[in-house]
Amino acid sequence: MSKYIVRRVIGLIPLLFGIILVSFFLMKLAPGGPQAQFNQNPRVTEAQIDVWLKRWCLERESSPLSVIREFGGWLGVYNCTTESAFSESGGLNFLPAALGGGDNGIIHGDLGLSIKAGRPVTDMITERIPATLLLTITALVIWVFLAVVLGVIAAVKRYSVFDQTLTFFSYVFYSLPTFWLGLMFIFVFAVLLRWLPPQGIVTPREWPPFNSENYWAAFGAAPVDAILDIGKHMILPVLVLVLVSIAADSRFVRASMLETLNQDYVRTARAKGLPKRKVYMKHAFRNAMLPVVTNVGLELPFLFSGAIVTETIFSWQGMGLLFITGVNDRDYFILMGLILITSTLVVVFNLVADVVYAVVDPRIRYD
Amino acid sequence: MSEYNRALEPTAPPASRIAAVEEEGGGGGDYEVSLESLNQWQLAWRRFKRHRLALIGAVVLLVMVSMAILGPIVWPYDPTHIPGVSQPGGDPPTLESFDRIFGTDFGGRSVLQFIVVGARISVAVGFFTALIATTIGVTIGAIAGYFGGRVDNVLMRFVDLMLAIPFLFVILVAARFFGGGDPVTLILIFGLLSWPGLSRLVRALFLSLREADFVQAARAVGVSDLRITFRHILPNTLGPVVVSSTLILANAIVLEAFVSFLNFGIRATDVSWGNALSNSKGFLLQGNWWWPFFPGMVLAMTVIAVNFMGDGLRDALDPRSRES
Repeated sequence: MSKYIVRRVIGLIPLLFGIILVSFFLMKLAPGGPQAQFNQNPRVTEAQIDVWLKRWCLERESSPLSVIREFGGWLGVYNCTTESAFSESGGLNFLPAALGGGDNGIIHGDLGLSIKAGRPVTDMITERIPATLLLTITALVIWVFLAVVLGVIAAVKRYSVFDQTLTFFSYVFYSLPTFWLGLMFIFVFAVLLRWLPPQGIVTPREWPPFNSENYWAAFGAAPVDAILDIGKHMILPVLVLVLVSIAADSRFVRASMLETLNQDYVRTARAKGLPKRKVYMKHAFRNAMLPVVTNVGLELPFLFSGAIVTETIFSWQGMGLLFITGVNDRDYFILMGLILITSTLVVVFNLVADVVYAVVDPRIRYD
Repeated sequence: MSEYNRALEPTAPPASRIAAVEEEGGGGGDYEVSLESLNQWQLAWRRFKRHRLALIGAVVLLVMVSMAILGPIVWPYDPTHIPGVSQPGGDPPTLESFDRIFGTDFGGRSVLQFIVVGARISVAVGFFTALIATTIGVTIGAIAGYFGGRVDNVLMRFVDLMLAIPFLFVILVAARFFGGGDPVTLILIFGLLSWPGLSRLVRALFLSLREADFVQAARAVGVSDLRITFRHILPNTLGPVVVSSTLILANAIVLEAFVSFLNFGIRATDVSWGNALSNSKGFLLQGNWWWPFFPGMVLAMTVIAVNFMGDGLRDALDPRSRES
């Protein structure tokens, strides 16, 4: 087991390096580059552009060598202040700062500065994490619970009216474009009925922006009101996420449960006279949940990246919206940072899901 | 009966006709077996017909495709023609005039026309993306699965990498930086990025079919790699591949709509269903539901139709699902 984990972790290293390469070159290949925004501005001098580029460890010329240097700067191996592989304190740049290394590059947890906002990308991403997690974790918990309940009932009452209705609606909701469903919900519940706010996380003017210092001060003063306010804003986006995701997951649970119900041991349990309910819940349910656990594990990266559509429609100030803004502004470093972080999470969660599966299911052997 | 058919299937002519066309120009008469009056395709069609929702889906899709082909010809779209509106934000649906049956956008342009004319780009993006992605996915998956070893390892690590990076992120970045509003470029971007899942599926099928008895037998009598691949293995992967292609098709249509909705996709002078929606959110908050509703509805209907059809095809093309 531990051997397997070690082997898998070692296998991650080339994959992570690949992710770093892709996130760098995706931006590097973009026509024009970051300095393109100054092309139309006669007041910006060449020297200013050079200074400006330097802040992001970029170079104007594009020779293979300069690309390697830029990549080294992004990675943290190369130091653009000293223009060498050594940091200002003389040590090799990739070492931690305490050992005389530099502080630039992803090795040192530095994802560069946002081109638009001029702030460290790491900060901009981390301050968006609570909003995204609030939305996605709530949705995930609700949809996994409902998917399990609905899927199990559908499997137990196979081909019943309930089962067929669920099947039909899963197909419909699975197919509905998320962004359009969101728009329609906004229209019905916010514009027509005026029950719920159309967008945002908190009511503007009544509450400071979510996750700002002022907000937490206001939150401390009236926690119940604050939670109610957020709750009101959360209903629609969570509903959209839940409806769309339940569709696929309840099918998965149903299939898994059906397969288990056809197993010999379930028939044996029934044959020896155990009550139906007990057989379903004790013998079948537990075993049917094994693949479901893995499936949920594979869905965990969604917690960070999956709500991009929903966040856009509901102007939910999370990481997904940050990404969309980044794409709009051509803010290379935000995009690179977000792609890097989410891809890494995908890879790590995949590994965790595999390992958890191996732990909970003793039949699985990895040699 | 079913046992007999299963054993026959790898060499039965109709199932391998598609592959045979590529290989030897539609020949394949040397496998003529006529013990049963219905061939594979007829059986499949029979099973498909029984799936009523799939049949409806196929009809809806047919309507969309004919709209995509004929729409812009029958009702030419002129992006510079802005008729004007009688109320701010656009006119509501009315039965009085045909082109205002679904209302208008803020400039008075007919929403119905957006749907009719936009079908071309939306449907084309779906079909060609599925075509490109399926071609690449099947090729890569077949190579990896058939040859195995180092080739497989390299290809699958690459697929791992592509699957690790959130699809939507890469699509959005690529569409924004390289798209330039051109439908063809958008199709290329979607197609070149949508294949990894399919290639994994094909690889898995090849891995198991490679060891199947009929392939071993073919190899033992000295059939070449190329012929085994096209004649014996590929036809057997048809069912799952078709189903997954329909999923790619449906996804591509939604993706195009979302990307265009965000104004990163098709340029403003062209119309697609997503493009038709793109500026509607602000007006939706004022109560103009018709503008985003109808194009989105058509989009949703198309995708549901494609998915139901995929479901029907899965049942129809799987020779083991006789009873349903």
